[in-house]
Amino acid sequence: MVAQFLAQSFWLVPIYPLIGVSFSLLWSPGMIRRTGPRPAGYVNLLMTFFSLLHGLIAFPAVWQQPANYIEIPWLQVAGLDLTLSLEISALTVGATTLITGLNFLAQIYAIGYLEMDWGWSRFFSLLALFEAGMCALVICNSLFFSYILLEILTLGTYLLIGFWLNQSLVVTGARDAFLTKRVGDLFLLMGVLALYPLAGTWNFNELAAWAATAEVSPTVMTLIGLALIAGPMGKCAQFPLHLWLDEAMEGPIPSTILRNSVVVAVGAWVLVKLEPVLALSSVLLNVIIAVGAATAIGGTLISIAQIDVKRSLSYLVSAYMGLIFIAVGTQQLEAALLLILTHAVSQGLLIMGTGSIILNNITQDLTQLGGLWGRRPISGLSYLVGLAGLIALPPLGGFWALLKLADGVWVSHPWVVAILLLVNTLAAFSTVREFGLIFAGSPKQMTVRSPENFWLITLPMTVLVGVNLHLPLILQSLSLLPSWATLNKDMALLLFWSSVAGCSIGAIVYVGQSIPKPIQLPWKKIQEFFAYDLYTPNLYRSSIVFSIDWLSRLTDWFDRYIVDGVVNLVGVAFLVGGETLKYGNSGQGQFYVLTIALGLAAMTIWMSWSFITHLF
Amino acid sequence: MLSTLIWFPIAGALAIGFLPSLPVQRTKLLALVVSGITLVWALWVTAQFDFTNPALQFQENLPWLDALGLDYQLGIDGLSLPLLVLGNFLTWIAIYSSSETTDRPRLFYPLVLFASGAVTGAFLAQNLLLFFLFYEIELVPFYLLISVWGGEKRSYAAIKFLLYTALSGALILIAFLGLVWLTGATHFGYDTLVGQTLPMGTQIILLGLLLVGFGIKIPLVPLHTWLPDTYVAASTPVAMLLGGVLAKLGTYGIFRFGLGLFPEAWANLAPALATWGTVSVLYGAIVAIAQKDIKRMVAYSSIGHMGYVLLGGAAMTSLSLVGSVSQMVAHGLILALLFHLVGVVETKVGTRELDVLNGLMNPIRGLPLISALLVLGSMASAGIPGLVGFVAEFLIFQGSYAVFPLQTLLCVVGTGLTAVYFVILLNRTCFGKLDNAIAYFPKVEWRDRVPALILMALIVFLGVQPNWLVHWSESTATHLIAAISTAGDPLVATTAVPPQSPPTISH
Repeated sequence: MVAQFLAQSFWLVPIYPLIGVSFSLLWSPGMIRRTGPRPAGYVNLLMTFFSLLHGLIAFPAVWQQPANYIEIPWLQVAGLDLTLSLEISALTVGATTLITGLNFLAQIYAIGYLEMDWGWSRFFSLLALFEAGMCALVICNSLFFSYILLEILTLGTYLLIGFWLNQSLVVTGARDAFLTKRVGDLFLLMGVLALYPLAGTWNFNELAAWAATAEVSPTVMTLIGLALIAGPMGKCAQFPLHLWLDEAMEGPIPSTILRNSVVVAVGAWVLVKLEPVLALSSVLLNVIIAVGAATAIGGTLISIAQIDVKRSLSYLVSAYMGLIFIAVGTQQLEAALLLILTHAVSQGLLIMGTGSIILNNITQDLTQLGGLWGRRPISGLSYLVGLAGLIALPPLGGFWALLKLADGVWVSHPWVVAILLLVNTLAAFSTVREFGLIFAGSPKQMTVRSPENFWLITLPMTVLVGVNLHLPLILQSLSLLPSWATLNKDMALLLFWSSVAGCSIGAIVYVGQSIPKPIQLPWKKIQEFFAYDLYTPNLYRSSIVFSIDWLSRLTDWFDRYIVDGVVNLVGVAFLVGGETLKYGNSGQGQFYVLTIALGLAAMTIWMSWSFITHLF
Repeated sequence: MLSTLIWFPIAGALAIGFLPSLPVQRTKLLALVVSGITLVWALWVTAQFDFTNPALQFQENLPWLDALGLDYQLGIDGLSLPLLVLGNFLTWIAIYSSSETTDRPRLFYPLVLFASGAVTGAFLAQNLLLFFLFYEIELVPFYLLISVWGGEKRSYAAIKFLLYTALSGALILIAFLGLVWLTGATHFGYDTLVGQTLPMGTQIILLGLLLVGFGIKIPLVPLHTWLPDTYVAASTPVAMLLGGVLAKLGTYGIFRFGLGLFPEAWANLAPALATWGTVSVLYGAIVAIAQKDIKRMVAYSSIGHMGYVLLGGAAMTSLSLVGSVSQMVAHGLILALLFHLVGVVETKVGTRELDVLNGLMNPIRGLPLISALLVLGSMASAGIPGLVGFVAEFLIFQGSYAVFPLQTLLCVVGTGLTAVYFVILLNRTCFGKLDNAIAYFPKVEWRDRVPALILMALIVFLGVQPNWLVHWSESTATHLIAAISTAGDPLVATTAVPPQSPPTISH
């Protein structure tokens, strides 16, 4: 009963965090000074707990039920009907539970992590904004409103990355994140605009129905589709819009937990929802696979070359989002959704584990860390569980997601399996490398004193360890795992061995101490190529940024000296003319007065003419 | 009823000007009361207004100069009503935000009220000559407001403003006279001139004169160079009025007299107009990126945003036209907010230079609330959803896409460029490290906060609940478009297929 009621009132879930936002504004600097900013955090934590609880209780009511739709009229004008359509189904409720759960843990973590920070109100409001935006996005059944929410999240990203706003790298990171995502969003807007005259609807389920029978020119659909996927590409940090995620690592770690696990995945979610439309053009599907494959391989390679704890993980995020792109491109939607789930919980755990190290070792430089296994067993174990959950290591989550994908594409796109195995090996290598550099070896100057953190950091981390370890059981109870009979055992073995290969090579090189660090490849150029993110920042600086800067300066010059110059020239000409004409004036006051008086009289007579004629 | 809106502020202006000298605060209070009463009156008119009726309402008609064809004809419809309320509201806000230490208050406040009354008159006039009179009269107070209370280069700016707008007036007058003489009419009443049947060539020439005339006022590139100088030289309240209200006279005039009187010529010129609007959008945004002065940057952003209005008008769908009217209101609110905030930053920090400003978001030493509002205001201007700018721009885009796809997509690019310069502005002013050595700013007063908070509340409210914005103009716009499409013009595209409402399974 309660579950039914909560399922029907599920639209409340995005509202809770917004209530939290409005409360936390009270504790912004200058409003309530006597209590300090902390109540803002507690209020938001409580509100997130409500959303989490709401989702958990409502879930049984929607499990194995057909989707419910709630229609909320927003704007009807001049023949355009914008009605917000919400889909309440097991999938959307489950997704909000994932978001609220992770945000709940991230907020506890933040209370510990940002203990000394003054910006609580701002930070927790922004986390809540993200929670609200993402929850609304997953239950929203309309491309138009998805676009709106993605844009609001773009703004949220700008403010959240820019949280520590007096550091210059933070400011540029926030700028780049905002502009990159905005570029993606605006292409998405173009797609949204162009799709409506064809389909006559923006609701995802109606779009799917339309796409099933639509007859549109593939060229048009390819163009529209390219615009539509640009939004998700920006959100998911896919090549070539991947730069921002790397720079976003300047933000505080608690926000990174949320960002790397679920925020980036909102793009993938929209992509999954749009798949029926995208499938109208086979060229487009291949583009999606190509983008995903390039990002997956490139991202893992760049990740291996990073010396920053967070950046190395951030490129893995791009890589896994690339795998999801591949899944959508090969129309393996269930695999895509499963991958979103397993990636979110394992990536969140990896960030929590490394964040716990960064907090009291004061460095996130991998070359300065090492030898922490003995001192930080809980963080180390958490990291290992996250690692195992991310790559295809049975029996944890990542294995099942990748298996589903590999199994699904084997017949249609066998070569994609090769990419999957390669990416999995590289990802395993990269994560083990990071583990080795942080935990193995002998302590260094920065790691001599390093106790485990207090419970506010450790508790959410260990809870997430539990979630990761139990994820297969959860999946099984939701019947999302294949039975032994239908299991593709060859594929499972392939994936398993690829993980083992990646892990063992990584372990030999980085956990074993026989090879001196830092490792220099014989080909320095290639190592730098990946270490510097394929020189993408330079590429952007010398192409787009340069040309816009140049264009704006040139136009400004044109505006000042040509457009305005002509005007001023005309003005000067008149001034000179006036100077010449003034010598024709007599300078006698009576003459001016006479002129004015005569003129006035003539005008008065004329204006009152009708009145005068009436007199006679 | 409508006359009150014009003459009450002017009477108030005279009263304040000729009453014995009061302290500045009292004078300001008096002006606030006068403008407040006018605003309430305008809202009352709105409450009485029938939104479903596309025709002119509350008409007033007094014979004046028959020989000239000039009668005192007033009326209001869905096109002018939103602008009328916006104008009176922004006048009130501008007076509220004016400095308590304004020089010569007995001249300043009357001039503001007088300008407000004259602009209202122009919005209400249903006689071409009467419109022209108000359109010209409003120049005088604005000229004085710029040249007396402006910043540096104010006399240059004021003269430039005066010359440009006088030229604009002259062109409009020529067009009006030409229209009346060529049609053989003897009267300048709007209703007698609607539906004229001049040859297309003549129509296009007359419309061209109007477009250039009003194009100066809007302004459209390349007729815009008075704007940055004027807006920058004007004091904050005057800049709010110039950008928020006066520029709308141009777009209003283009719709009322250009589209309204010459629909066929308008349809012929529509592709060129859409392109012109797009050029304005891109040009304004690109030049704004290169600016180093935040007020100048906001001024150029205004040029960009008025281009969308022209695009919406050129597309001639009822949706795009509603979008255009909404954009006028949205732009008025957002621009007033931005000018106000920039003004506060300037008075507190003492500079408008991007290279000098830094770290104002600092919660203790900086201007946290003003910075937060500046972030939201900029984002509203950049068209982030949830704020009013998005709704208006989206309606224009959606309404225009079917007719002018290329121009519409380029305008979407324009919103991207808008984001670029606003991010530059925010990163330099609000973000970054505040230099503690110089950060002894004067306290931010409630006078600085309240106008911004009110404007922001409206921007958010209308962004979340746009029904309140768009329905004002919906029936008039639909009617205007219907009147044109009955003329059988091929360019008038229908709006997109209305969506079928999906089956509701819940409950």
